[in-house]
Amino acid sequence: MTLRAKLGYTAAALTIVAAFLTPFLLMETFAKSFAALGLHVDEVYSGGPTLRTVQNGAYSIVIHKPVFPHMFQSEKPFVQLDWTPVSALPRHVSDVVDVDGDGQPDIRVVFDVPTDPKTPLRVNVESLNSRYKAMQNAGREQFSRLIVRVDNAVLVRVPLANR
Amino acid sequence: MATRTCSPRLAPAPPRGVLRSLLLTLPIAAWSLLMFFHPGAHTDPKSLVAATITAFFMTLLFFMMVRTGKTYRWRRWFFVTLGVLFPVGFIYNLVLARGTMGIPIEEMIAGRTPFCFLAIPLLIVPAALTKTIVFPGSITASGHAIAIMVGLWLALTLVLGKGWCAYACFFGGIEEGMAAVAPRARIRKLDPRWRYGPWAVLLAMVLLSFALFEPAYCMWLCPFKAVTEYVSARNAVGLLQNAIFIVIFAALVIVLPFLTKKRTQCSFFCPFGAFQSLFNKISIFEIKIDQTRCKSCNVCQTACPTMALSKESIARGETLMSCMKCGACVDSCPQQAAVWHIKGTELAWKPERARLMFLYAAWAMAVMFGGSIIAEGLVTILHFLT
Repeated sequence: MTLRAKLGYTAAALTIVAAFLTPFLLMETFAKSFAALGLHVDEVYSGGPTLRTVQNGAYSIVIHKPVFPHMFQSEKPFVQLDWTPVSALPRHVSDVVDVDGDGQPDIRVVFDVPTDPKTPLRVNVESLNSRYKAMQNAGREQFSRLIVRVDNAVLVRVPLANR
Repeated sequence: MATRTCSPRLAPAPPRGVLRSLLLTLPIAAWSLLMFFHPGAHTDPKSLVAATITAFFMTLLFFMMVRTGKTYRWRRWFFVTLGVLFPVGFIYNLVLARGTMGIPIEEMIAGRTPFCFLAIPLLIVPAALTKTIVFPGSITASGHAIAIMVGLWLALTLVLGKGWCAYACFFGGIEEGMAAVAPRARIRKLDPRWRYGPWAVLLAMVLLSFALFEPAYCMWLCPFKAVTEYVSARNAVGLLQNAIFIVIFAALVIVLPFLTKKRTQCSFFCPFGAFQSLFNKISIFEIKIDQTRCKSCNVCQTACPTMALSKESIARGETLMSCMKCGACVDSCPQQAAVWHIKGTELAWKPERARLMFLYAAWAMAVMFGGSIIAEGLVTILHFLT
């Protein structure tokens, strides 16, 4: 048997070993290595990192960093605000929010919180700063202008005027 | 090269003895027990019954492959079962969790979209250039996390190369089943240029995914959305997307496989299959054509379900890089010229040894990955039956 053949059989044997090690070692090692690459899910989906949290009585409003889509992405720029926890929200929410933290109100957000979590939400956003676009009776048509309930929060995405 | 008439078929190798076959099957039987009956694996009787059936099924198929010396037909039983039962378990779990097969926008925002391996090639360029995953899933959280699927894919690819498409893909079984039920091919002449289809789709989808910053294939072309989860039809665009999924599924996965007896979606369209072909280069196992035996009858070319053999490649004594190592050509060759081969070893020197070594690796993966999906599908069926 030639050296090449010996190497071939060795590699074949190692492949079998790798197959049997996959559920115990290999898969997890590869998964952990991938997770360690420092990648993140596109902010159009995740809403972007948190900028700051504003406490409003029993509930808080989490303000995210503005999200600007890439290249030819079909979505528009937006900023996400989370009202959480849902259990602490009144039946009717009407909050004036200083989104950019300059001490001036930027938007007024108005929505109802139905008791049935499956009931679709609608939101009105009044623009108090031209940087933020108003929304009338918006539902969840687009990633960049919506109101949805996710777990224990109500998420509102307000579109931004072009930079 | 002119096609010559085949010489009389060589006598097939006699089947292995039962006892020897059983001994050779023992490692896979033990592996099946380990995979399906590890402590804490079953909390209810349905799950136990499904695991027992699956473990027996997978072990029996391996036994038959060892005993008969044939690969393709036994593997096909597994593969078609996988293709049929995957949507059963998947859709049931989706409906249980969400109440619909559609992906609601809040599930995407929450990062709970199950990650599918078909999206992997689409993510590479945006991830490399911007460190961004353009998929509405979660990297580490949840049972369908992106990292887990990528880890599994890497491990299986290391072992199988393009063999993924014959031993792991949970979609290909549907069209393989459709190709199998047709008594004969009604369309026999297929333009070989269609082979470039998957590469064209791959290139277009990779570029488009980067430009649009979304998994373009999943959003617009994936035929298997029709049997897994579709885009919630919130508007006209959503309706159009779902219409495209259904038309491509009907054409490439149902109708054309029936008419051609080929896996047409895999052969002409699947970008993941093209991507996976690249990894055949690192796989130690391959299929070769022994030129000293080949009579150029092209039976192997007709038998290949993915058009991975051409007259030119047969003349070179090899398959094309899209060969998924299903064994159809080896099983069909009347001259036993198509052989399993380990790179570096002498051609046709103990090809059965090469086949068995490949099958141990491939079947271990099939039991672990496909077997668990089959068991989940069986649990769903048992749930409806009892």
